[in-house]
Amino acid sequence: MKRIRLILLSFAFILGSLSSCDDKLDINTDPLVATSADPNAVLPYVFVQYSSRKVTELGTRICDVPQYISDTFNSPKNGRTSIFLTGNTWGMMYNQVLGNLSLVKADAAAAGPTSNNVNAIATIISAHIFYELTSIWEDVPFTEALNGQEFPFPNFDDQQTILNGVVAMYDEAIALIDSTPSSGVFAITPAGDQWYGGDMASWRILANSLKLRALMLLRNGGANVDAQINATLSQPLMTSNGQAAYLRYSGQPGAQNGMLTIITAFFGPDNESQNVFGPGDPIDALLRDSGDPRYDLWVARNDLPAPGIDLFPDNTTSVLSNNIIRADLPDMVMLPAEIDLYKAELALEGVTAAGNAETNYRNGVRNSITWWGQDIPGVITTVSTADIDAYVNSLPAPTLEDVYNQQYLAAFLQPVLSWNHVRRNQFPVLETPPASNISTILKRFNYPPDEVGANPNTPANPETDVPMWFENL
Amino acid sequence: MRTHLNGILTLILAFVVHLSFAQEKTVTGNVTDQTGTPLPGVNVLVVGTATGTQTDFDGNYSIRAEVGQVLQFSYIGQKTANRTIGASDVINVQMEEDAQALEEVVVTALGIQREARTLGYGTDIVEGEDLVKARETNIVNSLQGKVTGVQITNTGGNLGGSSKIIIRGVSSLSGRNNPLWVVDGVLINDAQTPGNGSRITGTRDFANGASVINPDDVESINVLKGAAATALYGSRAAAGAIIVTTKRGKAGEGGGARVELNSSTRFESLFRIPDYQQEYAMGTQGQYDAGSVGFDWGPRIVGQTVDNLPITGESGPLQAVKDNGIRDFFRTGITRINNFSVSDANEKFDYRISLTSTNQEGILPGASLDRITIGLNAGVRHNDKLESRFGIQYTTTQSRGTGASGANDPNIISFASFSSNLDQNLFKPWIDESGNQINLITNNQGNVSNNPFWIRNENANDRDDDRIFGNFQLTFKPFDGFALTARVGADLQDDRRLIENSKGTVGRLFGDFISDNIRRNEITSDIIASYNTNITDDISVNVLGGMQYNARIFERQQITGVNLLIPELFSPANAEQAIPVRDFTEARLFGIYGSAEFGYKNWATLTLTARNDFSSTLPTDNNSYFYPSASMAFVFSDAFNIKSDFLSFGKIRASWAKVGNDTDAYLLNFNFNPITVATGQYSLNNNFPFNGALAYSASATIPAADLRPEEQTSYEFGLDLKLFNGRLGLDMAYFKNQNDDQILNIPIPETTGFAFRTTNVGRVDQEGFEISLEATPLIIGDFTWNTGINFSRVESEVVSLTEGLDRVVIASGFNSVQVVAEPGKEFQLYAFPHLRDEETGRPIIDPNTGRRQAGQATTLGSVLPDWTGGWVNSFSYKGFNLSTTIDVRWGGVMKSSTVEALQTGGLVKETLLNREGTFIDTQGIILTDNGDGTFTRRDNDVPLLSAQDFWTSLNDNSVAEPYIYDASFIKLREVGLSYTFPSRLLGDSFIKGLTFGVEGRNLLLLYSEVPHIDPEATLFGSGADGFGIERASIPSTRSIGFNVKLTF
Repeated sequence: MKRIRLILLSFAFILGSLSSCDDKLDINTDPLVATSADPNAVLPYVFVQYSSRKVTELGTRICDVPQYISDTFNSPKNGRTSIFLTGNTWGMMYNQVLGNLSLVKADAAAAGPTSNNVNAIATIISAHIFYELTSIWEDVPFTEALNGQEFPFPNFDDQQTILNGVVAMYDEAIALIDSTPSSGVFAITPAGDQWYGGDMASWRILANSLKLRALMLLRNGGANVDAQINATLSQPLMTSNGQAAYLRYSGQPGAQNGMLTIITAFFGPDNESQNVFGPGDPIDALLRDSGDPRYDLWVARNDLPAPGIDLFPDNTTSVLSNNIIRADLPDMVMLPAEIDLYKAELALEGVTAAGNAETNYRNGVRNSITWWGQDIPGVITTVSTADIDAYVNSLPAPTLEDVYNQQYLAAFLQPVLSWNHVRRNQFPVLETPPASNISTILKRFNYPPDEVGANPNTPANPETDVPMWFENL
Repeated sequence: MRTHLNGILTLILAFVVHLSFAQEKTVTGNVTDQTGTPLPGVNVLVVGTATGTQTDFDGNYSIRAEVGQVLQFSYIGQKTANRTIGASDVINVQMEEDAQALEEVVVTALGIQREARTLGYGTDIVEGEDLVKARETNIVNSLQGKVTGVQITNTGGNLGGSSKIIIRGVSSLSGRNNPLWVVDGVLINDAQTPGNGSRITGTRDFANGASVINPDDVESINVLKGAAATALYGSRAAAGAIIVTTKRGKAGEGGGARVELNSSTRFESLFRIPDYQQEYAMGTQGQYDAGSVGFDWGPRIVGQTVDNLPITGESGPLQAVKDNGIRDFFRTGITRINNFSVSDANEKFDYRISLTSTNQEGILPGASLDRITIGLNAGVRHNDKLESRFGIQYTTTQSRGTGASGANDPNIISFASFSSNLDQNLFKPWIDESGNQINLITNNQGNVSNNPFWIRNENANDRDDDRIFGNFQLTFKPFDGFALTARVGADLQDDRRLIENSKGTVGRLFGDFISDNIRRNEITSDIIASYNTNITDDISVNVLGGMQYNARIFERQQITGVNLLIPELFSPANAEQAIPVRDFTEARLFGIYGSAEFGYKNWATLTLTARNDFSSTLPTDNNSYFYPSASMAFVFSDAFNIKSDFLSFGKIRASWAKVGNDTDAYLLNFNFNPITVATGQYSLNNNFPFNGALAYSASATIPAADLRPEEQTSYEFGLDLKLFNGRLGLDMAYFKNQNDDQILNIPIPETTGFAFRTTNVGRVDQEGFEISLEATPLIIGDFTWNTGINFSRVESEVVSLTEGLDRVVIASGFNSVQVVAEPGKEFQLYAFPHLRDEETGRPIIDPNTGRRQAGQATTLGSVLPDWTGGWVNSFSYKGFNLSTTIDVRWGGVMKSSTVEALQTGGLVKETLLNREGTFIDTQGIILTDNGDGTFTRRDNDVPLLSAQDFWTSLNDNSVAEPYIYDASFIKLREVGLSYTFPSRLLGDSFIKGLTFGVEGRNLLLLYSEVPHIDPEATLFGSGADGFGIERASIPSTRSIGFNVKLTF
């Protein structure tokens, strides 16, 4: 009897010892994370993550597709883009950038007009990202994107729909800025806004300027956007380098432009000694013997021939200069020269609201040279205003082809924009790389496997030399 | 209920009262084993009654019984003895060892000892002495070839590297495929934390947690494979459990302390050397380049004079260096393992203390490992009711110069880092008096590459790991058959790492370092009550109930310092930028469990178990989960009494179990994470604070609020036969597991703004069979040959994922190669093949270039083997013993990036074909589109530019197919030859035993289709499921040495 009691007591004790376990188990909250975040902390992540991935993946990889650089590593220029090589950009854009921005935007919308500034910034960057997404892959989810509750498998929209949506987003952002109350507004810190330090007037100009960029693709694709272009031209647009949108790299460790760190990480101290980035043939052809100061600013050993398409530079060729391939090279999102040259193009094509073609053309060339020779943060070698003026004034009245070539030059080191220019304008005329297995330069990327695998609505990949809608070929 | 209980108690009382009226006397006696040593704890039962007792510590017993009744003496490992009570009041018994049964006492879940015949599931036992015949520094490797149904992989020849063991295939899509390790009843961590945050970017493979278990201190290892075997461990043993029992103290011969010395010295050399070509020099397109390391497409070496020899830059004749100078770089490694132990025991206590030192110098210059292990295991029997035990192991390990593998790191040195005319001796010295790197290599463009000796000697990858695990156990046995045990165990790990790049390293010119402090603590406590009794002569009952509490903490603080001021000072204050990262997780688990074992006539045993776990990682309202198991063992040879000279033992067994699995901590809440790294391609990252800004990002994973535990249902059937008087043993098992409701971060379209969603999803099934054969084919006089063969075939099939999801990435390597889970298949290698003609299967050639073209990425075969096997032999003649282990892995595929680099670099002999002639890819076919949906086919007749063009274009567009091989291999894993001196030779000296032996490990590759490298190598450490991908692995080694074992 005593034994049975002891046995039963023992088992009862063991059972009873569990009664206090609930408190012990209530520990499943990560002590090192937050449940909500200030936009001043989320936006910096968006700015820097976007740039870090873009420069290292697109900047160092597709810059030989529009051929402003002669050759790069793991480039898709020969036609078949490995589906694995583009997934990081896709994920960065949709998940890391748009995902965070949609949360910022939702919070700002809930907070009301006092957060219109935050809402507008998130909207502008989002629109810019969608512009780049459609520039790289053409049809991508837009109307059903970023709403997993309602659309767990977003459908893909056509390029015209996306670009129209992008334009509408810029309009939305401008309206938000214009309806921001005069007091009680959420304080965006200088560090929170890495492009403009919270200056909403600059953001408004950028929104309008980026809208023109999107409208130019729509126009080229055949959409009738004349009225929207005229309206955009009547609003403040970028005119000076002080309004440029870029991410500033301090050059200190952890804040260095990937165009240099790819060299320092894998080769040696700088581009000129390591012969990694060489000027592409179109750059050489447009600048050599032109008197354009950008040739000396961009190209070292420029008395030697350019390396040629699909070839890395060596000691017998020219090479991109350490003036530009440097740790504190800013990541440029938009420069005013682009706007000037759109205006020149539109003016030549009879859009009166664009003003005088020649004036705009010279403004564009001047702004671009001034950027590289004076205004760019961390400028090393400068060009005097007198020299710039002398060169700009020496230019003949432009043809449309001249404008296209200058648009191409002004987009130097802006991989997506430069690629869009050569696909939109078909100038400069680019040769198909010798080892290419497609008939033209690369026209698009393949969809990444993560999306293909997870989203049954992902369309089949067209061949990579199939032009996009905006090319209108 | 109360009435019912009263009734039972009344019956028991009546029974006791009835006994008290019988004619009785007190019988006493002493029970000893075959050597005369008193045996405590022997069960003494009056046959036909419920009366019984146990012998005390001196082997004495006392029991009341009637004349004519029979006393039955039973003890695990001894033949049961019966004695009829006669006139004498004293019955002394000397028991006989039961040779068959002795080997079949196994330690099962929770440290419970069971006779193997009662188990309804298969187990595999490896005796401690088999682990030290050719000792390994990582105990996991010493199981290779010896256990049925396990697959062991390692990352090559790194000192202090990890080894991964999986049991009966993979069951989890989320990487929870590693078994639970249990030492003396206490759960210990077998985790492996990657060296630098990535398993592919210059990864440093540091050891798995269980690697510190000291083989010299192990009595036995029992591998529990099925869910029924592990059900009492609950959720954490869903992938099996490895139960380690450490040695307890034993007295020396003739009493007194037993002192043992076991010393091994071994020499390591490269296991395999690529078939380097020696005919062509460094360079490209036939042109010589003194800096083209690992790219030998230069001119034919004919003794021509060049004006810039590698490294020196001097003028001189081009000359090939034997085996590309690889032996001048890799050195002979030395391993010294010395173990010293003292043990003692008497009826009151047992005690064993052990000290082991392991000192290794690796084949990689600069690599070394020093480990000291101190173990203590002691127990005291305070009286006949109370026992206490205490066991602890402290290990301190210092590894230096761990090699880097993977990609994107200047510290990687692989087989492809050598060239035909590059003399490694010229790299010495590598540093000048001012601390600058010298004797670098310079190419025709003036670009410099690192001196590999600088890499090895100046860029340290150091690890200092302190580990303590131990247990304290108290057992109270107030009366016969009942025991109450309380056990507390702790496993504390303090792991400090420093990965450095010295200033002046090309690729890391300004110097950087990662200082990494990792802490893993695990505490487990159990309270177990057990009661066993014989209800009748034929029916025995053994019930057990218990409670377990388990808590795990992982904490990591990492500082990355970038751009150093003083070159060799790796302090945050010496870095221009210091990036701190902190990580912390904590998980707890309560479990309550019970088992009931019903035995009938010692030939049928039914065991039922149940456990309920409560996990902190699951939603609080759904954190409780229950899992039952049932197993049956039926010894038909006894039941039907059909024992004969042919069949001495026969058992069939069957089991069914359902177990659960919780998940990782902190998967339930949506968070914004503080971010320190903005990621870039090629790991070209930026960091926060950035321009003064801190950063937060929303989690990319949508958490699941309604997570359920994972569920595994399994059943197993087995047959265990002993034939020819035990000379031949055969064990067969068939099993099937179904793993449902896997907790997984499934990829969702990133276009939703998120990348993953945590949910219960998918199903993985494992099905297989195992055969294990043990035989003594020959006994001729003093000569004995024992042989053991094990074979296991497992198929782990991903049955389903979720709707709309084609595949899940299990692990990702560089160059577009992944391990994926796709429904209907085993884990697959997913990569690019060449574009092939559907009709002929031949690669389609681009008629413009003569090159092959890339196809669409697809699955290219299972990364898991079809079957694994081992063949262990032992030959004994008088004092001589020769043992061998052959290890087979058959089937599955692997992708080798090292072979890819060797071939694209023109380094190996197959690249000599048509080096200077016209090169046409004759395997290729050219298709011409006829425009009507048909094609005209012709053998490829378009030459490539050169042989170099062929080999370097084979992997264009990330094609991996040419480097994917059948991963099958057969290895001569171990050979040990020893001689034990007979005691007559030792005479009366203080030496009681002396054994001398030679031993070798990883001796021969008997079969493999993978060229140039060890087919076992993998890129990923034990903490990931990256089977089948190899990239720049540290070359593995062959080791040969000798061993001396002394007993005093």
